[in-house]
Amino acid sequence: MSRDELNIKDNTSLFKEERYVQQRENKKQFEAPCSEQETAEALAYSKSAEYMEKNFSRQNVVINPHKACQPLGSVMAALGFEKTLPFVHGSQGCNAYFRSHLSRHFKEPTPSVSTSMTEDAAVFGGMNNLIDGLENSVALYKPEMVAICTTCMAEVIGDDLNSFIGNARIKGVISEEYPVAYCNTPSFVGSHITGYDAMIKGILSYLYTRSGIESKPGSGEESGEKLNVMLGFEPYTGNFAELRKILGAFDTKYTILGDHSGNYDSPATGEYEYYYGGTKLADVPQAANALATLSLQKYTLKKTQEYISGTWNQKLAALSTPLGIKGTDTLLATISELTGLPVPAMLTEERGRVVDALMDSHPYLHGKRVALVGDPDLLIGLIGFCLETGMEPVHIICSNGDVDFNEVKFKDEAEALLAASPYGTEATVHVGKDLWHMRSLLLNDKVDLAIGSSHLKFAAKDAEVPLVRVGFPIFDRHHMHRYPIIGYQGTLNLLSLIVNTILQQLDDHNSGFNFELVR
Amino acid sequence: MDPLRQDEFDSQACGSIAPKAKPCPRPKPGEAAGGCSFDGAQITLLPIMDAAHLVHGPIACAGNSWESRGTLSSGPSLSQYGFATDLTDSDIIFGGEKKLKDSIDYIAGRFAPPAIFVYSTCVTALIGEDMDAVCKEAADRLGIPVIPVNSPGFVGSKNLGNRLAGDALLQYVIGTGEPEPETDLGVNLIGEYNIAGEMWDIEKLMNSAGIAVTSRITGDARYKEITWAHRARVNMVVCSRALLGLAKEMESRYGIPYFEGSFYGAKETTYSLRQMAYLMNDREMERRVDRLTEREEARLSQELRPYRKLLRGKRAVLYTGGVKSWSVISALKELGVQVVGVGTNKSTEDDVRRIADRVGDDTEYIPEGGASRIIKTVRERKADIMIAGGRNMYVAMKEQIPFIDINQERHKAYAGYEGLLRLAKELTYSLANPIWKLAASPAPWDKEAPPYDR
Ligand code: SF4
Repeated sequence: MSRDELNIKDNTSLFKEERYVQQRENKKQFEAPCSEQETAEALAYSKSAEYMEKNFSRQNVVINPHKACQPLGSVMAALGFEKTLPFVHGSQGCNAYFRSHLSRHFKEPTPSVSTSMTEDAAVFGGMNNLIDGLENSVALYKPEMVAICTTCMAEVIGDDLNSFIGNARIKGVISEEYPVAYCNTPSFVGSHITGYDAMIKGILSYLYTRSGIESKPGSGEESGEKLNVMLGFEPYTGNFAELRKILGAFDTKYTILGDHSGNYDSPATGEYEYYYGGTKLADVPQAANALATLSLQKYTLKKTQEYISGTWNQKLAALSTPLGIKGTDTLLATISELTGLPVPAMLTEERGRVVDALMDSHPYLHGKRVALVGDPDLLIGLIGFCLETGMEPVHIICSNGDVDFNEVKFKDEAEALLAASPYGTEATVHVGKDLWHMRSLLLNDKVDLAIGSSHLKFAAKDAEVPLVRVGFPIFDRHHMHRYPIIGYQGTLNLLSLIVNTILQQLDDHNSGFNFELVR
Repeated sequence: MDPLRQDEFDSQACGSIAPKAKPCPRPKPGEAAGGCSFDGAQITLLPIMDAAHLVHGPIACAGNSWESRGTLSSGPSLSQYGFATDLTDSDIIFGGEKKLKDSIDYIAGRFAPPAIFVYSTCVTALIGEDMDAVCKEAADRLGIPVIPVNSPGFVGSKNLGNRLAGDALLQYVIGTGEPEPETDLGVNLIGEYNIAGEMWDIEKLMNSAGIAVTSRITGDARYKEITWAHRARVNMVVCSRALLGLAKEMESRYGIPYFEGSFYGAKETTYSLRQMAYLMNDREMERRVDRLTEREEARLSQELRPYRKLLRGKRAVLYTGGVKSWSVISALKELGVQVVGVGTNKSTEDDVRRIADRVGDDTEYIPEGGASRIIKTVRERKADIMIAGGRNMYVAMKEQIPFIDINQERHKAYAGYEGLLRLAKELTYSLANPIWKLAASPAPWDKEAPPYDR
């Protein structure tokens, strides 16, 4: 049939019609008893410097948070292992949120179950729920491992996962050998990144300990020549692919510890399976014998890193998300140093091409003032990228940035990075603040561009600043996570995103005389 | 991965004014169940657009959920703000009441909302926060309603949360205000949340028939209008059994008659409008409704003709979690789409009876959820399309099954006569998109037949 025989409007155009406009007017009588003038005044005030001060002295309420809770990170971590079922011990709502949250970002299903605790569990403890839950989920979804994390509720009533799992074995619900990893992730501590860390560490240490292998880094035959790589709480499936490309070019052997890219980028074959890809369970204990471990989110993976350099006594290189030319240089140099292999010519060539691209675009980037929101490691990478392109970071908010690794705090590192560049002089770094704080910042000290997750779109719109969506979650744009942002290729992607947003702005806000064909 | 079976039920009734139907099913451990009661309560109250909604708890509940529902507003946007007390471990130990009080004060001072709804969550309920007392104290001091919504996640399902929110409205809101003298009194719409703007289509229809909306409970509502809901002449429960208790209680308290209806499909829409006029006991209005519905139905059937031709005989599996099952079936039937499988997971006995009235004998009832179970039905019954909620969408895509999102995240409004047209259009588009053919044909060098021949 012809595509639009009937002109059925959707709500974008429909509600501009007269009758709807009228309806809206009529409704005003019910609205809060403020006159239009009062509303306008209040709105203006909310944009003032005076209000910004009040906003920043706000202690007790969070408005528009920019972090998710620990178990959400744990679910993502669990999906990084082969045939592993994420299992959330708590009441059912949390798990439903995690599933829709992750699915909305990746546009893929998220297999994850819950113990669905109810009131009686709150009173008597959740042991029966956990045991029944294990029995049911193993029967239904046939995982090869279950990875349990807790929610705040289970933590408050003090459920003991270890003994509950033990009891499930005694009762014969699962066999003695059946692997069940776990970690404690109350939502009132940390954020999604700490939860991610807890689960990765939980799985590594669990599988290692039960294997009985004794760690001898660099020794164990084949695995002794391997490199372990961890990407962390990684919202980009494209980053996994990019990293594989780089490691492949080096021709080094490696194991990615926690690879959820398969689960979140599976082909449409006509048949859905619950599990796609992931780190092989047998590879995990072997990883203790690897040459070294490379971590690409040092703040996120704090505890896991400590475990690897401690218990496994393994050489560890911990970086932040390798964005931009310098960030990628460091990544390649580190791989080369850890493996003893030279940086492949192919990558050097790629570097040259991307540097060329950056040169092409630099006139449009230079001096552009930017606001940034994100997780700590992503922000370190983004700041580095901005500085090397001549963009000036101005406002930086990291809600969960109150973390340190090896006694270096995120905030200090970010500030040192900024201080070392003439383009960073104006920047202020705020940790523990939310997006309502960012709104004040954007309104009071205007920038050219905001970079952050979809959640930032409200503040960006208020301040009329274009938003480049980077990070997690991205709900309102499609396929962003399929393009890498790390490595030289990722740098090119990030550059295209940013420079083309700026060029689009130029076209949109041009009255005519400067509406040019060639830029 | 949705719940696979929910055959156990709470021994105790949900909420204090539970309807006589069977109580809310209890979730089963080890399955991927749906939302919690907290979520359900939020769903019911968030569409009160000018109020502030503050979540009292750790970051989990608010951080993962703010601004992720498609209930549209025609004006105020305060309800879109994600307010949370973000409790930390020391608050858990020493109590979060002070933080709560300060948060309420800040919101009242800064945003001047007509009311603040405060939601308890698992943790605040467990550590025994006296939210009622804090809210009461704040309300007295600030001179605005501060309403505790006691619906922590662990008490049960989303449905139960809807009911508890209804309880909160009864206890704290309805009956606390009076309409302006010149207000035209009419119908309360209960359980219609203005997803994708559906409320607006309904309102437009009612207006053309001269039926006034007294209170929207709660799609695109303003706080004030709900305070005088007790003055309405009729309550309509819009295909949401969860809030039936609210209507029943209003009947016994204020003598307002109620009926259950739906706006999905022309027949249901016509029936609902007629029912309103009938219960208002207004002859003139009944005549107006008759004229309007006749005209609209005639126009609709004209406009639907090309779609009907394309949709006739198409087979659909419908999985909406219960409440909407029967009403959407009517809509589909009018389009000539045959429902060959229907989810009854969260349906009450009444719902199931209604479904039975509307489908043929060879329709499969899917009592248990779970994407794989639904997909099995799609395959076995050779269905052409799957109509379900967002969480099943990506699984359907993996299986290359045409899909329409019918639940609370949908971006299209399907209510009323125009809604049916929109549904027809969406169905045709979804079925006719060239991508399905492309997906089903193997790569040219790959001789193997596709796994499922459509
Ligand atoms: S189950 Fe409890 S903790 Fe989880 S989202 Fe619901 S209220 Fe919050």
